[in-house]
Amino acid sequence: MSTGEAHKPAPYMLVWLALFLLTMAEVGYAFITAIPKLWLAIGLIVMAFYKAWLVAVYYMHLKWEPKRLWLMVSIPIPLIMILIFVVLNEIF
Amino acid sequence: MSTIEQEMVHAAEGGHHDHHELPFIRKYIFSTDHKMIAKQFMFVSLFFLVIGGLLAAMMRWQLGYPSQPMPGGMMLPDAMMAPTPNGAIMLPEFYNSLVTMHGTIMIFFAIMPLLVGLFGNLLIPLQIGAEDMAFPRLNMISFWLAVPAGILMLASFAVEGGAAGAGWTSYAPLSASGEWTGVYLGQQLWLASLTILGFSSLVGAVNYITTVINMRAPGMTWFRMPLATWALFITAILILLAIPVLAGALIMLLFDQTIGTGFFRPEVGGEPLLWQHLFWFFGHPEVYILILPAMGIASEVLSNRARKPIFGYHSMVLAIIGIGFLGWIVWGHHMFMSGMNPLLGTSFMISTMAIAVPSAIKTFNWMATVWKGDIHLDSPMLYALAFVSMFIIGGLSGIFMASTPVDIYIHDTYFIVAHIHYVLFGGSLFAIFAGITFWYPKMFGRMMNESLNKLHFGLTIVLYNLVFWPMHNLGLQGMMRRIYDFTQYEYLAPLQPMNEFISISVFLLVATQSIYAFNFFWSLFKGEKASDNPWDSNTLEWTVPSPPPHGNFPEMPVVYRGPYEYSSPESETDFYPQTTPPSKPPVQDLIPEPVTPTPEGF
Amino acid sequence: MTTQAMTAGRAPMPGMKVYNLKLGMWIFLLSEVMFFTGLIGSYVILRFAHPEQFTEPGVVLNVPLTAFNTFLLICSSVTMVKAYAAIQQGDQQGLKNWLLATILIGASFVGVQVYEYIALVGEGFVPMAEAYHAVGRHMPHDGPVVGGQLYGSTFYTMTGFHGTHVSIGVLCLCFTYWRAAKGEYSADNLGGVEIMGLYWHFVDLVWIILFTIVYLI
Repeated sequence: MSTGEAHKPAPYMLVWLALFLLTMAEVGYAFITAIPKLWLAIGLIVMAFYKAWLVAVYYMHLKWEPKRLWLMVSIPIPLIMILIFVVLNEIF
Repeated sequence: MSTIEQEMVHAAEGGHHDHHELPFIRKYIFSTDHKMIAKQFMFVSLFFLVIGGLLAAMMRWQLGYPSQPMPGGMMLPDAMMAPTPNGAIMLPEFYNSLVTMHGTIMIFFAIMPLLVGLFGNLLIPLQIGAEDMAFPRLNMISFWLAVPAGILMLASFAVEGGAAGAGWTSYAPLSASGEWTGVYLGQQLWLASLTILGFSSLVGAVNYITTVINMRAPGMTWFRMPLATWALFITAILILLAIPVLAGALIMLLFDQTIGTGFFRPEVGGEPLLWQHLFWFFGHPEVYILILPAMGIASEVLSNRARKPIFGYHSMVLAIIGIGFLGWIVWGHHMFMSGMNPLLGTSFMISTMAIAVPSAIKTFNWMATVWKGDIHLDSPMLYALAFVSMFIIGGLSGIFMASTPVDIYIHDTYFIVAHIHYVLFGGSLFAIFAGITFWYPKMFGRMMNESLNKLHFGLTIVLYNLVFWPMHNLGLQGMMRRIYDFTQYEYLAPLQPMNEFISISVFLLVATQSIYAFNFFWSLFKGEKASDNPWDSNTLEWTVPSPPPHGNFPEMPVVYRGPYEYSSPESETDFYPQTTPPSKPPVQDLIPEPVTPTPEGF
Repeated sequence: MTTQAMTAGRAPMPGMKVYNLKLGMWIFLLSEVMFFTGLIGSYVILRFAHPEQFTEPGVVLNVPLTAFNTFLLICSSVTMVKAYAAIQQGDQQGLKNWLLATILIGASFVGVQVYEYIALVGEGFVPMAEAYHAVGRHMPHDGPVVGGQLYGSTFYTMTGFHGTHVSIGVLCLCFTYWRAAKGEYSADNLGGVEIMGLYWHFVDLVWIILFTIVYLI
């Protein structure tokens, strides 16, 4: 098929369930006032990026694409980290 | 038919189409043929190059003859030139607009579209053996987005308040509010124009990258691609990733000006330094966008005209990739004097010095390429040799700036202006002259007049150095950039005669370009008719007629070797095209007999 | 069609083995990543520099409504991927139905966001720095101002551009639906659906991150 190699049916509904549960978890977690702000932020970011990763790998079919595409897609990541890290240093 | 099947059949046919003759408007105006789009970019960009040059000439009038009536000044509106009984004198606000627009137009509407729009479009499909770009209609859209962007930019001269006047770098808070420059709508038009142009470049980049990855002919492996294609490929990646950051920044600045948001306005808690970081995060990859394709062109011309392979092809490729990669972590060197965290200054200094290394590798390789070559000193070669030498000077001055302590002294002086122009004019523009001259026959089927080009070259190289070399001295003596009347400072008044000298040289330099312009248009009609391969070159574009037919290659080319097999022992001539099948074993005579040592030595 | 068949029409050549349309869309999405990085990165930096200009989650912004909106967008990603799965099997009716569902859910997302904007503006939460006078949800209009001018500027710019991308996506989905209705897609010719899906999922992905950073932190 035009999409690349054939693969067994993807677990779309399972991923949807995971995304739904994670969203609920995030909203709940955000309002736990007992947790210090830093851990709150880190936990939320981790959950958000994991959700994003699920969407990219399953819904955007990265899982079944050639590894070179993974490489290409990850190129902006170091750039983003560099920009934000360097400019944040201005504040501190 | 599936997407894949369509592409396969298309390619196997080799681009042979049963095309009824296209109507004029589809063939010349809304063309999807990459060669026509390349020419469209070329004509529009050359027009803007002239405009940019005229803007510079006007600036130089003010610097050479401060506050004196300018010839022809009475024709310009009162907002730009103050009328007096003796003639019209330039207003400071207009000078600021000239500075801004000269930089903006030259960088975005001349050099970038010439290097990327012209050479990217012309060379990529031809050099990799493709029939056209991956997305021909998107290519057409890319050009037709650039045109309204250009119109908006020029229109900004005519609005109330005049054209943008905050420098091509448009620093906030000067640019965030019209209060300081007196420019309101002009600045917004500037922002809108660049946003549209950014989108044009972006879709172009998507096209170039997809084409190079997916549409190379059989046998055209990555390491058999010509360096021009490599350079344009890496440049496209830089465009893809840097332009969107600029777009975000431009939009935030536009909102600051129009809606009244507070991103960069300190009076409401905004951060002017954020603008600088965002702008230069784009801005530094931008300058590599402006030089990498020029380096690629130079490699093609130097190797061909010296009849020698490029020295160190692999290291040339790695250097291009290295420059592209390192270019992302040096942007702070434009901000050493901004008040940013000094620790960042140190890290940027180190990374900036590091980036000199791949550029130096390329320079040494160019020198080794022409060393002991069978040099044909015709005009493309002259321009390419000028590129290398002027780029060396520009690169060396860059080392001074890379050092933070030195930059404290020379930042925002004419030393920087000298550096910029040695790399952009001495570098990029000479490479553009080389490239246009070299590929002119492929585009138009005729050769440019060689004598006129040599005359243009000789005058240009001399006058250009007379203009820009002294600026190093001016900068070191403290003359600052973007200043309407430097003579107001007593310590700078002695620099007036040198400024006048530079201005006169500029007027002559601008006038000299008419030789190239004349040659360009004259040769379209009267130039000597060109063969398929007038330069005896190896790359694929020279295997098809000049100019190539729609679809480029009558059948799919197959590539057997790299692009720089000049003076190869395996060929009877001094070149060995990439698509010529290997016909005979290596020539035995050239394999030396093993020498056995005698007791006394060899 | 297998990879071998893909390249059978020409001598084997090195390449990504991802067809042009799909490769082009991925490359375009990389540029979109950089665009949102510029906007979201600026927000992060401004927030670190001037924390007093922002508030705790939920003080000004309506988190429950937006959480629901997030869920909506995720559902639309599911319907999109179902549409793609349908045409992979050659199911034309399934493709149309799921595309329609995606359009409706996507349009609802935009609708909820517009409603949210109107409510926020009514509370004084505006992008214009000088006019900012947000007092927080359910607070009287003459109460103390919470947050600062930068909050409105950054919020509307980030979510506004995301919303614009969603709206453009909905229009493109309508175009895709129109082509599907004409029967232009099949199991062998679904590139157009696939790249529409890639764009749509990307817009969802950005929102997942944006929602967390802007609404929950």
